[in-house]
Amino acid sequence: MSRLSIILLIAVLLSALYLVRTQYESRALTTELDHATSEARRLEIENDRLDVERRAQATPKRVEKLAREQLHMRTITPAITHYATLPSQGTASTETVRP
Amino acid sequence: MSSRSVQYTSSPLLASKTPIWRSQFIVACIALGFLGLVARAAYVQLIGNAFFKRQGTVRHVRTLDLPANRGRILDRNGHILASSVPVPSIWANPESIDRDPEKFKALAKLLGMTQAELEKKLSDEDKNFVWLKRQVDESVAKSIEDLKIKGIYARKEYKRIYPEGEAVAHVVGFTNVENIGQEGIEREFNKDLGGKPGSRRVIKDKFGQVVEDIGEIILPEDGKDLQLSIDSKAQYFAYEKIKEAVISNRAKAGSVVVLHAQTGEVLAMTNYPSYVPDKRGNLVGEQLRNRALTDTFEPGSVMKPFTIGLALNSGRVTPNSVIQTAPGSMVLTGTTIHDSHPHGALTVEQVIQVSSNVGTTKIAMQMQPQEMWETFSQAGFGQKPPIAFPGVVSGRLRPYKTWRPIEQATMSYGYGLSASLFQMARSYTVFSHDGQIIPVTLLKSETTVSGEQVFSANTASQVRKMLQMAAGPGGTGMKAQTMGYSVGGKSGTAYKQVGKTYGSDKNRKYRGWFVGMAPIEKPLIIVAVMLDEPSNGRYFGGDVAAPVFSEVVQQTLRMMRVQPDIAVKPMVVTQLEKESL
Repeated sequence: MSRLSIILLIAVLLSALYLVRTQYESRALTTELDHATSEARRLEIENDRLDVERRAQATPKRVEKLAREQLHMRTITPAITHYATLPSQGTASTETVRP
Repeated sequence: MSSRSVQYTSSPLLASKTPIWRSQFIVACIALGFLGLVARAAYVQLIGNAFFKRQGTVRHVRTLDLPANRGRILDRNGHILASSVPVPSIWANPESIDRDPEKFKALAKLLGMTQAELEKKLSDEDKNFVWLKRQVDESVAKSIEDLKIKGIYARKEYKRIYPEGEAVAHVVGFTNVENIGQEGIEREFNKDLGGKPGSRRVIKDKFGQVVEDIGEIILPEDGKDLQLSIDSKAQYFAYEKIKEAVISNRAKAGSVVVLHAQTGEVLAMTNYPSYVPDKRGNLVGEQLRNRALTDTFEPGSVMKPFTIGLALNSGRVTPNSVIQTAPGSMVLTGTTIHDSHPHGALTVEQVIQVSSNVGTTKIAMQMQPQEMWETFSQAGFGQKPPIAFPGVVSGRLRPYKTWRPIEQATMSYGYGLSASLFQMARSYTVFSHDGQIIPVTLLKSETTVSGEQVFSANTASQVRKMLQMAAGPGGTGMKAQTMGYSVGGKSGTAYKQVGKTYGSDKNRKYRGWFVGMAPIEKPLIIVAVMLDEPSNGRYFGGDVAAPVFSEVVQQTLRMMRVQPDIAVKPMVVTQLEKESL
């Protein structure tokens, strides 16, 4: 009887120690998960920020300014546009502007 | 006596001189000690448990807010019009701040305030949280951090960024520092964009790291992205053109509305003066107003097509019926109605083309006030446009029962009622969409819609032809013509009411506008342009607004990849013949 009690006592002690260890490990993993989650969020935010920045570099206002000032381009009109119809959209346009 | 018989127990050396009670006392003390421990343990775990648990919670359990991202606002092609990015905000703990005068001076400079202002903010030492400046630049925050002042901290906050700036400011609106929409789409759809913040309860260890979650995590619901019907390119172009026109005509303000004539989508809606949403330092109401939706005025000649349309639709006239408008004026119940100059006999088509008030009145007086009121109402006059946007006005259209004959006459050519530019643009869907007034939207929806039938498809087509004549040779809106695309539309000019009168000859103020559509056979877009108080000599809608219409139509149709429907003399410069060497 007393021997059984001792065995059980040891088992309880071991299980308690194991619990402590598991708890410790679980906390370490939680910390790691938390770090990874916040890193993911940080990257997501960074991505959003870069998206905005990319757009800010490509706004019509900026594009027009660069096109006009640096590349000396001008606004197009139908008079200087050649329109081509894709063959799949009905009959192909035969009207072409020849030199 | 033998020494062997000595009894050790009675040896005087071993005989204890200490009384037995002392050892018993020690045992009792130790027992008491243990008892004390047991009592303490019982107190901690049973009696005072709640208190200790609370203390533990206070020290290690934290509720973390999980902020929801505010949704982005996108244009019809998915370009960002508004998005949130985190920026640092500077706060201080006045209780524990290190008040070094040298560092304070540098800090005040970085925050862009005087030292006195800074001292004032930090004067209440009972507080342990004071915002010093919210949403500062990353570089400023870095410099402040480098000062290493105790008690000064930075935390991340979300700030709205509007890459398209002033061109789309009136449509998108803006949020305040708490990320709540204050104007425009940001305000109207604040709930959808905002999302719902979540939270989680965690245990943190002494290093501040999360070691355990307690209970359920409430995940944040991010705000939804909102895709508008606005085309940022068309919007930008319209803004640039109206800006140019306002400046060159020395006008007070101007607006442009571009509608998709088949889907009812708003492709562009812009006003000048505008503002840069990111820098709202010295904003005034003048800049903030979305005039296209909030300012109403008498639509003038823009109404004539509705009067004529009703007469055509009810079979009272045909496009070729002749109306005598000589001598260019008529008297109705004591009031004289004038044309700009006498025209003589005109066909109904020509009445619209030359914009004759007398001709329109003669046709209108054949009709009942009730039918005119019904047609105008159906076309959206006196009604709030069905569009989700803050501050939309309904304009004014009085009930027909109170119309006197002279009022019926003036209303037939657009005076005595009022509407916003947006309402006028929308009302013209009646002519562009086979007689139906279609619902309009600021959100992308590429489906063709149908609406209430106001006129028959045939009437709509007849009126379109008249609108084309009005914007053609001999019409009032000739400057609306544009290279490559057939257009039709009606110009309008009005004296602005100054106080109770229309002002004397010297200080008259005008407003000029143009509403039209293109390509005229099967319209794809409706464009409305308005200039408020042009004061550079020219003020007729056909002179100041029609040229803006022309450019906006051409560029918008080009961006929509619409092939020109009228012949253009090509000016494509091809390669020259090589010079012979």
